[in-house]
Amino acid sequence: MNDPILVAENLQKFYQMGEVTVKALKDASFELMEGEVVAVLGPSGSGKSTLLNIIGGMDKLSGGKLYYKGTPLHQADTKQLTYYRRNEVGFVFQFYNLMPNLTALENINLSVQISQNPLSAEEMLEQVGLSDRGDHFPSQLSGGEQQRIALARALAKNPQMLLCDEPTGALDFKTSIQVLKLLKSFSDIYNKTIVIITHNTAIAQIAHRVFYLKDGRLDRIEKNENPLPPEKVTW
Amino acid sequence: MFYRKMIRDLKENKGAYLACIVIITLGLLVFTAFSTMVETLQTSQQSFYENQNFADGFVQVKAIPRDEVKKLKDIEGIKEIQGRLVKEVMVLKPESKKNVYLRLVSVEPGRENPINAAFLNAGNPLEDKAMNIWIDNKFFEANNHNLNDEIEVIASGKKRKLSIVGVASSPEFIYSLRTAADLYPSPETFGIAFVPLSSMKKLFPDEKTFNELVFTMKPDTDFDKVKTKLEVKLKPYGLKSLIPRDEQISHLLLSEELKGLVAMSKAMPIMFLSIAAVILYITLKRLIEQQRGQIGILKADGYTSQEILFHYMSYALVIGLAGGLLGVVAGAFLSYPLTSIFQVFFNLPGLEGRFSWYLIILGIALSLIFSVLAGYQGSKKVLALEPAQALRPPAPIGGKRVFLEKIRIIWELLSVQGMMAVRNLTRNKGRSLFIFLGIMFCFAISGFTWSMNDLMQKMMFDQYERVEVYDVKMSFASPMNQKSMIRELTAIPGVSHVETMAEVPVTLKNQWRKKDAVLFGLSETGRLYNILDDNYNKISPPKSGLLLSERLAKLLDAKVGTKLNVESPMKAGEKDGVLEVVGIIPQYTGINAYMELGGLQDFLKQKGLVTSCMLNIDKGEVASLRDKYMYTDTISSIDERNQKLDMFKEMMASYGSMIYIYALISVIIGFAIIYSSSVITLSERSRELASMMVLGMTPQEVLSVVTFEQWCIGVPAMLIGMPMSKIFMAGMSSAMSTDIYTVPERITFSSLLMAFVVTGASIWVAQRAAARKIRSLSLVEVLKAGE
Repeated sequence: MNDPILVAENLQKFYQMGEVTVKALKDASFELMEGEVVAVLGPSGSGKSTLLNIIGGMDKLSGGKLYYKGTPLHQADTKQLTYYRRNEVGFVFQFYNLMPNLTALENINLSVQISQNPLSAEEMLEQVGLSDRGDHFPSQLSGGEQQRIALARALAKNPQMLLCDEPTGALDFKTSIQVLKLLKSFSDIYNKTIVIITHNTAIAQIAHRVFYLKDGRLDRIEKNENPLPPEKVTW
Repeated sequence: MFYRKMIRDLKENKGAYLACIVIITLGLLVFTAFSTMVETLQTSQQSFYENQNFADGFVQVKAIPRDEVKKLKDIEGIKEIQGRLVKEVMVLKPESKKNVYLRLVSVEPGRENPINAAFLNAGNPLEDKAMNIWIDNKFFEANNHNLNDEIEVIASGKKRKLSIVGVASSPEFIYSLRTAADLYPSPETFGIAFVPLSSMKKLFPDEKTFNELVFTMKPDTDFDKVKTKLEVKLKPYGLKSLIPRDEQISHLLLSEELKGLVAMSKAMPIMFLSIAAVILYITLKRLIEQQRGQIGILKADGYTSQEILFHYMSYALVIGLAGGLLGVVAGAFLSYPLTSIFQVFFNLPGLEGRFSWYLIILGIALSLIFSVLAGYQGSKKVLALEPAQALRPPAPIGGKRVFLEKIRIIWELLSVQGMMAVRNLTRNKGRSLFIFLGIMFCFAISGFTWSMNDLMQKMMFDQYERVEVYDVKMSFASPMNQKSMIRELTAIPGVSHVETMAEVPVTLKNQWRKKDAVLFGLSETGRLYNILDDNYNKISPPKSGLLLSERLAKLLDAKVGTKLNVESPMKAGEKDGVLEVVGIIPQYTGINAYMELGGLQDFLKQKGLVTSCMLNIDKGEVASLRDKYMYTDTISSIDERNQKLDMFKEMMASYGSMIYIYALISVIIGFAIIYSSSVITLSERSRELASMMVLGMTPQEVLSVVTFEQWCIGVPAMLIGMPMSKIFMAGMSSAMSTDIYTVPERITFSSLLMAFVVTGASIWVAQRAAARKIRSLSLVEVLKAGE
């Protein structure tokens, strides 16, 4: 494993919900290494998505420090966060979030267009195995196909980190494995960091490390000496 | 409970609802204010006409013996006919630099229910034979007179003092213009005075005849039949004009104004209410889509479809009621100052703002009808929704290819955001069409308003900057000899150039078409009165044959080569002859025909006849010229071109404020449409837009997808707005053009430019507001929820 690319110190995130302050994240400290796959596990409301949003520059911290390759993200303004997302981070969501009126290839191009150092959109389409579906609109694709396009769109930017929020949550077993294989190979080939949020403990078996969140706290981090290849995972 | 939900929902989308309320308010404001004013004006006009026995016909003759008038009463259809002496005199006002005129109208104090009776506002009755007058209240006020003040005038070449014993108004001079070409009243320099006939005889001892007749007709009498008979009888007395009430200047202009107001009070509110209704419809439809799940739960709980439908329609009801109430109340208040503006122009007793419950209730009802209909259309989907179906998410939006994609060259030029924007155009065709129409109207309104302004300026300023370019024009009381006048005037100190002209009243006939006009005889080499074509090239007046103004040619259906029968009381021997039309020229004020002066004199068989002259004179010498000629009875008026020009400049300034009101209206419409549709687009696509931001696009880049889409609609809409403003202008032109002035059917380039700026700016401002919404979009919130 290589150097840390992201260092988090005592991350805190509070939400004001009317008169109640919800502490979504309390004192989380960790590092993310280049090329590693991290799985984040925890029950609903444990702060998994909050953590991902903070790492991904989608949300601002209430306290603590966060450095990306030495740059203090906790001090970044909205514009700097936008460029951080644009150049360093790729997102994959449970519900794909594709542009309904762009074709598959155009959806990938949407992110190619704004990146500094993008990968070829056609190549990414080929990598996710959907070369023949490039001119289909999302409504003409199955859920698994849509998620693969979403993945290709995130990867095409050539980000340093790929953040996935329940990427297989809406998919069947077989399609889920396909998506996991893609994630893993991306990490292997390009030496990128991948964070996967999941409910599914089985998926955590492919990760190098597993973060357990509980009630907004990072309860423990387990190291997985021998991560399973995705095709070996079952549930 | 539903009430609270409604309040919260309304707050949620306050931008769009507020836009609706503002537009409804504006629409009803215009409706209430203008309808109230129309009602007030019409009622005052009708009762004034009735009470003062307003004439049905107006005749000008050279001279008719007083005894002859009574005989005319025997003509079938005439109820009453009266003769009178009308004379214009100059007022001596040493302190004023302007020429001030009074039109003296003879009245018979003892007469019962006279035609066009003057209505005494204040003061005492007129005494026969005394030098006392009633004066019109506008002149009285503008010149700060008091009762029993004396006015000094020049009558028959002598200074005379007239004592003001009363202030009066007449149905004939509600809108009082000295000449038809004046367009706006100028009470400071022109007024009406009512003088006992016996006193008139003293003022003008040489005038033993009448020069005007007014008559009323029996019910259901055809004016043209009376006219034909009168024409025959009056021919020996030098008939100059015979017009029905409809063509009388004051009545004509008041009716035109009323027509305009009626049209405004109907068209504007309907336009505004329709726009508000569409916004309301779109917003509610969107709300129902958004609250599909909530509707499902309510239905599952056992609420009936009608209850839920009524709940959503109550939103529209609240909006309609709020806008309606605000609008009618503001409109009722506005009607007072508006009416007082009309009091400045129209001399109508009893013209004051009034409060009309009927209009207020009608206004609110109108607003409610529009909004409830919009509300029902927007929310009727609730009825069809089954609870289980409502709880399921709606079918995903499908992407579709658009026509433009077939044109690869253009399509490939677009960025991916551009492609999204273009495809979005067809995603909701109804809404795109609404934006398109809205922007088009917004553009057309401002384009046509500015054009009107440009053309009004052109009409006025061309007349006094390019056509009539003398320093002073002197009109003679009766025709004079050309040579002797030139000789006399050239000798005046300061005069550098003299040109004489003849203005001859004529009746032009082309088969059954017939029109009274003034025929100008101008010197061929003259340079003080220019006849111009569209490109300002000078056209010489023809020696034989006529030049006609466009409007006159149209009215007579005459073309180049048409032979017209020309009849004039000033013609010696045979009263009529034939002249050929040799050219048609643009002219915006008045309807005239032109000829070379010598040619005209030959036609009239009046060698050397001229009726006025134009001078170039040193500025410093104008006052002494005036002093010299004011006391002679040969000169009826001395006009300075600068004075007229100044008057028009003042008038244009007051018209200018109207332009800004129209511009504001189009900005508000443009803004409301773009803003509300942006807000809806944003809420509909918040997920897409948030996804783009997650990808790392800046708010600007995300906004550009929405704005590009709006410009894609906006620019073509503005382009179509161009011919649209031309259509508006043509409508306006045909509605507004009268014998007094012609509004050209043209749209000026600068006005189109202005319309682009105004419309573009309102779109831009609305987009800024949308940008704020995008910046405040919470990525986390939006993406958390499933589709």
